[in-house]
Amino acid sequence: MPERLACSLGAKVRHAFALLGSVSWLLGQCAQSGLRLSREQLRVVWEITRTQIRFTALDALPLCVLTALLLGGITLLQVFGQLSAFGAERHISQILAQLVIRELGPLMVGILVISRSGTAMATEMASRKLSGELDALYVNGVDPIQYLLVPRLLGGVISVFALVIVFDTVALLGGFLVAWLRLPISFTFFLGALGEAIGRQELTATFLKCLVFGTTIPLVCTSFGLRVKRSTTEIPQAVTKASVVSLAVLLLSGAILSVLIYA
Amino acid sequence: MPEPLLALEAVTLLAPEGRTVFHRLDWKLARGARFHAKGGAGGGCTALLRLCAGIAEPDGGRVVLDGVPLKAGVPHPFLQRGLLGWVPSDGGLAVNLSLLQNVALPLRFAQNHGRAAAERTALDWLEQAGLGCQAHQRPAVPGNRESWVASLVRAAAKGSRLWLVDRPAGGLDADCIQAAERILGQAAQDPDVTILLVGGAWMSSLGLELTIGNGRVFSGREP
Repeated sequence: MPERLACSLGAKVRHAFALLGSVSWLLGQCAQSGLRLSREQLRVVWEITRTQIRFTALDALPLCVLTALLLGGITLLQVFGQLSAFGAERHISQILAQLVIRELGPLMVGILVISRSGTAMATEMASRKLSGELDALYVNGVDPIQYLLVPRLLGGVISVFALVIVFDTVALLGGFLVAWLRLPISFTFFLGALGEAIGRQELTATFLKCLVFGTTIPLVCTSFGLRVKRSTTEIPQAVTKASVVSLAVLLLSGAILSVLIYA
Repeated sequence: MPEPLLALEAVTLLAPEGRTVFHRLDWKLARGARFHAKGGAGGGCTALLRLCAGIAEPDGGRVVLDGVPLKAGVPHPFLQRGLLGWVPSDGGLAVNLSLLQNVALPLRFAQNHGRAAAERTALDWLEQAGLGCQAHQRPAVPGNRESWVASLVRAAAKGSRLWLVDRPAGGLDADCIQAAERILGQAAQDPDVTILLVGGAWMSSLGLELTIGNGRVFSGREP
């Protein structure tokens, strides 16, 4: 009993470090394998990356636009209520811009990508592993890291960038529409205020968050998918773990980046 | 004596449940050898193929392919050049690619053929195997037998020097047997090609009989 208790001490921390190790190893392998790609291999990888972008970004556009529009409008309504109490409605576009660009945009896009594509990646990798497809690829001269992981990583980064740009734009437009219904502001004034609100810090934060989220989501999800061993019953468990852990990583890394940049 | 293409040196392999499949097995496969392996269920035929391909890692000893030991996670030059034709019982094709793309993929990835050239070669081979009209279908549509034959086609199209062929799941019909005989017969015309085939009484004329069982591998029938 005491031995079991001693073994369980720090188990969660050990698991967290093991996960960090396996994700870092995958990232290193992807970078190494990516640099070794020949011209024809690059063409193959690009074809799969395009498919990945279509699935992760293009197919997610309707959901992304709807979420952004509603979120932009609702956020503005809430902020407007608070600001009007102090007679500071003029600052509404600046606050909206900072809120959406700094935090909401990358975070919501990250959640969308995890729920749509991250889970799909984990399921796909797990099924491919259990069916022996990964072994068959490797033995037939196709490196599974180059063929499967590198395109998902590239596709993830490009898609998150693209979706964040769309999300931010639509959320700000949605916010403007609500503001326009309540306040006598023109689109030119709104754009001018946005220009003042968006500085180098906001752009750096967006860029870094897109890069980190676009890299970690595919890596964490594929890493969990590749951990299945024998049974198909492991697939749903792997998918659940992949989505929960990548969400935790997303929130944690987002918070760390925000503190580092704005504190 | 020429160096064997494949050598198992004191290989021990345990099944997942802990049973010993092979214990300190020494076995060599000469270049150009052709074996037609037989063994009961659980006798280790598929395990031997998986060891030879580097998919199963031995619990003891080592497997040396073309003079280089196979190690998990370490790229092997023989495999990287696409010289191993791996045909598992379910075909091992990518389910999201058509038969044509499955056959063309190793040509493009391992042997740097352009897309058009790789797909032309793949289509030629699929037509020879009678799968030309199903070339643009995914493996699930034609079925298991055809997927297995397409996997043979993949091995042939990339000019494999070592063929490791497992028995097809669920057996083959007359058309598929004919196609498989044609492809394997064509490969066997090259004296440098080495073939290890499990099951498939229809290919018994291919080479020597190999019996696998009780953790041992015998040329000919078990003494």
